[in-house]
Amino acid sequence: MIKLTVNGIEHSLDVEADTPLLWVVRDYLDLKGSKFGCGAGLCGACTMHLNGSPIRTCITPVSAVNGQAITTIEGIGTPEKLSTVQQAWVEHNVPQCGYCQSGQIMSATALLASNPKPNDQDIDNAMSGNICRCGTYPRIKAAIHTAANNLSGTANTQNDLFTNIMEAK
Amino acid sequence: MTSLTSDLKQSRRSFLKASAMGSGGLMMSIALPGCATLKNGGISQVGETEQWNSNAWLRIDSDNTVHFVLDRVEMGQGTYTGMTSLLAEELEVDPEKVQVSFAGVDSIYRNTIYGIQITGGSTSVASSWTVVREAGAATRIMLIQAAANAWGIKESECSAENGVVINKSSGHKQFNQQISFGQLAAIAATYSVPSDIPLKDKADFKIIGKYNKRLDALKKATGTADYGIDTELPGMKYAVFTRAGRWDSQIKSFDASKVKTMPGIEQVFAVNNASAIGIAIVAKTYWQARKAQQQLVVEWHESELDNVDDASIFAQYKKDLAEDSGKNVRSEGDIDQALENAAQTITAEYEMPFLAHSTLEPQNCVAWAKEDGLEIWVPTQSPDMAQVAAAKATSYALSDVKINTTFIGGGFGRRINQDYVAEAAAISEISQQPIKLIWSREEDTQRDWYRPSSYHKLSASVDKNGDISGWNHQMAGSGVFDYFVADAAPAQYPFMPKFMYGLLESAGKMGEGIIAPADGSIYEGAEAIPYDFANINVDYKKSDSGILVGNWRSVGYSHNGFITESFIDQLAAQQKKEPYAFRYDLLKNHPRAQAVLKLAADKANWGTPLAGCTQGIAIHKSFGTWVAEVADVEVVNNSLKVKRVVCAVDCGQVVNPDMVVAQMEGGINFALTAALYGEINIKNGIPQQTNFHDSQLLRMNEAPQIDVHIIDSDESPTGVGEPGVPPLAAAVANAITTKTGQRFYKLPLKLDV
Repeated sequence: MIKLTVNGIEHSLDVEADTPLLWVVRDYLDLKGSKFGCGAGLCGACTMHLNGSPIRTCITPVSAVNGQAITTIEGIGTPEKLSTVQQAWVEHNVPQCGYCQSGQIMSATALLASNPKPNDQDIDNAMSGNICRCGTYPRIKAAIHTAANNLSGTANTQNDLFTNIMEAK
Repeated sequence: MTSLTSDLKQSRRSFLKASAMGSGGLMMSIALPGCATLKNGGISQVGETEQWNSNAWLRIDSDNTVHFVLDRVEMGQGTYTGMTSLLAEELEVDPEKVQVSFAGVDSIYRNTIYGIQITGGSTSVASSWTVVREAGAATRIMLIQAAANAWGIKESECSAENGVVINKSSGHKQFNQQISFGQLAAIAATYSVPSDIPLKDKADFKIIGKYNKRLDALKKATGTADYGIDTELPGMKYAVFTRAGRWDSQIKSFDASKVKTMPGIEQVFAVNNASAIGIAIVAKTYWQARKAQQQLVVEWHESELDNVDDASIFAQYKKDLAEDSGKNVRSEGDIDQALENAAQTITAEYEMPFLAHSTLEPQNCVAWAKEDGLEIWVPTQSPDMAQVAAAKATSYALSDVKINTTFIGGGFGRRINQDYVAEAAAISEISQQPIKLIWSREEDTQRDWYRPSSYHKLSASVDKNGDISGWNHQMAGSGVFDYFVADAAPAQYPFMPKFMYGLLESAGKMGEGIIAPADGSIYEGAEAIPYDFANINVDYKKSDSGILVGNWRSVGYSHNGFITESFIDQLAAQQKKEPYAFRYDLLKNHPRAQAVLKLAADKANWGTPLAGCTQGIAIHKSFGTWVAEVADVEVVNNSLKVKRVVCAVDCGQVVNPDMVVAQMEGGINFALTAALYGEINIKNGIPQQTNFHDSQLLRMNEAPQIDVHIIDSDESPTGVGEPGVPPLAAAVANAITTKTGQRFYKLPLKLDV
């Protein structure tokens, strides 16, 4: 049995130990926002947070994260309750095909959680593991700056970055 | 909002009585005269809601929701927003309130430019510019007619805005009251579609040219947009498919004994039909199937491609072109004489590589073979070709195949070829259950329908006065038409039985350029060279490499933009002329091109590069749209960094300005991947690249600043999805040449060390 806390909700799963976390989340928990792009940790479409840090879940065996806390794009926000990063994404019309954007938002959110005022170099460093084949990079960068501005001064950055995490039981 | 007037209630009651409506799912078939394309689909009752299909694109429900059937797929290029905007402009509704659904297969949804239901060629707005606006306008006219009749006033005394009709008859007892479209739908449904459908003048546009939101951004920023790969069905299983390294290899034998002992494996079987050859593994989960695939042993027969590699392919192109210059696609003046009389001749040879599409969503398809039909959920650019591919790969008749399309995680032309649909359909039929087929990234890279490689030979004559007198461009390579006609030809004739498909394919091939559009996939852009030379000649020799090829974002323009704009810089240097002015003068017959070139140069401060950079410029017309780009490039220690690209575009009337900017940005970064990294190498018939470590895509730290400037225009709209791509590589290459003197005759760009 594998135990996972995903977006604050605990799950016990009967799943083979070497199954990548991505497929567990997509096909056992039916959270389809995280995407499969390369299966080799090269494109970032599958990015989730493990205890707050961004990881490539297409190459992370579920057994390696047994008992730990995972956040997916579904935990970041919903169409009705966008996070600050998601609001900036919409404001800048960032997505084109949109397939990579869940992963981009996960990486951007992790960046802002640890560095609320990133400069261009910080953004390049944090985001260069996430490929966008449509080439939306200029807008991703602009949206991260906008999100950073909108975060600055708010009392509770964590709540603005993660609007849909259930209270851990 | 006011309640219904008693007049409206009265006319509505009599209508309901007359139509004896009210039972669930009743569909009235109303055949009334009117506009030939727009047919009033009448009213149907679904639960408590009455739904008026005012035409094939538009449905208005009694709860006042507006539903738009989008018949051009959304793969990032923005049809979801752009086409909805066209409809909303004429219907007089808020685009954000329109519910968008993706069209199934129907001949009414065919792309008028190609005669099949295809999203490609940057044609969506251009080909639907009139019909979608008419669909909205005709419906608005009928709704106003319904309101006018209910109020007993003239139609000219009514005004439609924001989903309601307003009574503008001053003095009338209901003056300034309003009725919603939903309340009027049942009445309007009884009217004929008007035969005359006047469209708004540009001056009256509220949305077109002004609206700057992206309607699918919210879904895509929250992970709630459903792509093909996200499709779920009850009892669905997962399939992986093992193909030969060489696409034409047949199965000799396979050993699945170890596979069958792996957890979750349900079935292993061979598929062998015209469009799908390989071994399918069906399992409970994707990971079980993928893991078990490593235990599969397959032997393949020898192939005609066994000895084919890059060197043999280019040797073939050169030999074929030397023996026969092929088809003449442009001839002005007398190039032979110009070259013979030349005081000097400048020549260059270019070799362009195969390129992969690398859509971030790998190819995938869900198929469900049922007793009464085959249903498919698939990210495809050509739903009717998908239907053909599925029918061909199974025992189902074409009419029993239902195609559902989804949001698409990148297309770029890859999803015009339907091999993955054929595979999924065949696997589901044999497996007798719903399956989801997902390709790995390696499979996606190695079994692509690549941008064809090609060989180009250019020569220019300099006359005794020192002026350029002639331009000769000869080229060879595979044509992409041959590689999708097998599915495209039957899609045009859906009533033909399957046994005729082979004949249709042959007829399509023979009719290329006659009954089917000419295949310009190697020469397009080259034949339209806009520069004013007295003698111009362009020839194309078809030389088939045998490697799978297909449409790749901007198709033939993708290489010809680079070649023609590199060679023109070489000629400018020979003429000792400044590259911008040299082009500008030679474009004197193309004022729109001159304006675009000048705008890009002005905005980039042409002649004053960014610190540490040199500049290069290029211009190319594709899909009716002129794009000029100026690249500021830094070369340090044998590495290059594109710092900024300034882009000017003339695409006629703009629908959504920010979407145009986004497509230029995206096209530039897509092209920069090709300029810096793009190549698929062939060895023994097998594509060598596999994943993003050896087939690199541009990353954020390499992405330049991009500034886009749009020419204000009243001309009909032309494409924007692809035209940002062609000029980029030449602009970058020309900037490097200015710095180092090295000229580039191959892509990707490799600096001399």
